[in-house]
Amino acid sequence: MAGQVITVTSGKGGVGKTTFSANVSAALAELGKKTVAVDTDVGLRNLDIVMGLENRIVFDLVDVVEGRCRLQKAVIRDKRLDTLHLIPAAQTRDKSAISPDAMEKICAELRHMFDYTIIDSPAGIERGFQNAIIGADEIIIITTPHVSAIRDADRVIGLLEAADKQKIRLVINRLEPELVRRGDMLDIPDMLDILAIDPLGIIPDDATIVTSSNRGELVSLTATSRAGQAYKNIARRITGEEVPFMSLESPRTLIQWLAALLKRNK
Amino acid sequence: MKFITKILGQFQQQIAAGDSAPLAKERLKVALTYDRNGLEQGTVENLRSELVRLMAQHLDVSADDVHVDIDSTTGPNKLVASIALRPPRRQRAAVAGSKLS
Repeated sequence: MAGQVITVTSGKGGVGKTTFSANVSAALAELGKKTVAVDTDVGLRNLDIVMGLENRIVFDLVDVVEGRCRLQKAVIRDKRLDTLHLIPAAQTRDKSAISPDAMEKICAELRHMFDYTIIDSPAGIERGFQNAIIGADEIIIITTPHVSAIRDADRVIGLLEAADKQKIRLVINRLEPELVRRGDMLDIPDMLDILAIDPLGIIPDDATIVTSSNRGELVSLTATSRAGQAYKNIARRITGEEVPFMSLESPRTLIQWLAALLKRNK
Repeated sequence: MKFITKILGQFQQQIAAGDSAPLAKERLKVALTYDRNGLEQGTVENLRSELVRLMAQHLDVSADDVHVDIDSTTGPNKLVASIALRPPRRQRAAVAGSKLS
């Protein structure tokens, strides 16, 4: 069976595309799927450092496009998990170095080589984004519960629909259940109502993301954190498995309980 | 003492918080209606000026009386124009020096 090419994009920068791409690729690899994560953020590469593979780069995506090496040579295999691979971006060039046509050819090749190709898109809607989406069988939109991120996600969804990309699903990242409970953060039904696409997963804000990326480790492989569990669940849903959504209620502290009581009795 | 201040602060925060999310939702709905329909603020303003010109040919209205906006209350995808009508002022007849006798 031919592999799937899935592009992770958002419009807004800093919402968690790279962290998501790295962790979900690892989770898929751990399920036994031969997976490659591809960094298309030419000039601002980050997937390598988030995955802890920054010292293993010999060739990159631009080398492949410009014919200095075959595609296979640019693929880095993770020594910790041999079903996990990375194709890094170039750091000393910019996004004009790759064309959508070239990217489409590369995706066609990757479909034969891997069960899953996860393409980490750069922020924005310009050339880098166009390169990232052209070969995609499926798109994952990452957003956070903030007005700016949601507005950008909506714009990107519009562009994707215009480009005839049918399979688009939403991941809500960095949810803070406590703020949602207080009425100070958009909740999941609100965001799904506004953006009107199917949800793929919800990832709570989690400090283990910071510590693990400091170490070049991935929470979906190492830590028993809620974010790690969310990434694992998402990987399983990508393979077609039905996985119920985690409950993200946080237990109330005494003060919150007292305050809620006072509010009710006002 | 510091501990008590901290607890009180948390308490205050919990009671005070809690209404910004609905506001965000409403603002987003309006903003997205503009974005999705390609309505830049300039387009709406041009539309409004033309409406003022048109209305002024038939009614006694000035620019301030005409409003064009996304109406988020009656549904997300409506552009609503409202024209305030100005009936002529009624004047009470000045009855100078009349006495009822």
